[in-house]
Amino acid sequence: MNDYQNLLLKLQAENFVLQDINLYLDTHPDCPNGLAYYRKFRELRDQTVAEYERTYGPLTVNGVRNGGNWTWVETPWPWERNGW
Amino acid sequence: MWIYEKRLQYPVHITKPDPKTAQIILDQFGGPDGELGASQRYLAQRYSMPNRQVAGLLTDIGTEEMAHVEMICSIVRQLTDKLTPEQIWEMGFAPYFVEHTVGLYPQTGSGEPFSALAFQSKGDPITDLAEDMGAEQKARTTYDNILRMIDNPEVADPIKFLREREIVHFQRFGEAMGKIQDDLNFKNFYAVNPAYDRPEPRR
Repeated sequence: MNDYQNLLLKLQAENFVLQDINLYLDTHPDCPNGLAYYRKFRELRDQTVAEYERTYGPLTVNGVRNGGNWTWVETPWPWERNGW
Repeated sequence: MWIYEKRLQYPVHITKPDPKTAQIILDQFGGPDGELGASQRYLAQRYSMPNRQVAGLLTDIGTEEMAHVEMICSIVRQLTDKLTPEQIWEMGFAPYFVEHTVGLYPQTGSGEPFSALAFQSKGDPITDLAEDMGAEQKARTTYDNILRMIDNPEVADPIKFLREREIVHFQRFGEAMGKIQDDLNFKNFYAVNPAYDRPEPRR
């Protein structure tokens, strides 16, 4: 796997952790262990997002650099074979 | 309001076209127990859900199911990439190809168009959550059946992920059902429909 694929996989894994704890917290919003778990992985995920967007392009429309090109449509879409 | 993230929830990387497999995977796009139906069911039910935590769960699972639609469509797209007319005929893909080429159209595995008849939004919290728990098991069984039919590990991998998520969603909806019941009169859960009868503040 190349650097891009590795970073994307890391991003997907960290986001998945957050997605899963998100569903749990929806019906257990006061669980201290759940909230601590969320906080930890949220930190990691946010750093990975910053690194990904800096290097490879926007993940959301809001990640497009203001004043730059419209990079939103310049990178592969996720369903493409090399979009991963 | 929805934000779209330009990535798949879980990787889909298929190197060999196979339209025969694509046709059964398509059932999880437009079929009765598929991801599109799941997302519309949960997102529709949330509006009348008086419990805010459960409304949050319906919103978030409904949103996750949209990400699953995207994965299913990516799998089908990669399985039907660059087909020759011979491959299309041999693999029984001709009827779909004639109507949709290699585009994605939400239909069942047997060719019926996607229908809202496959899901319900009944406006009653107990009923809606019972529907949701049933839906997740139906989806899980469908994935079980798909996994029995295919042996390509590139396809099986994301399908196994999607199957696991159905089981987790079932668990969460079960807990949500408990929450709803906690809000109700323990002597008679069915005395009122809290989505309609009691104009009490949401909590």
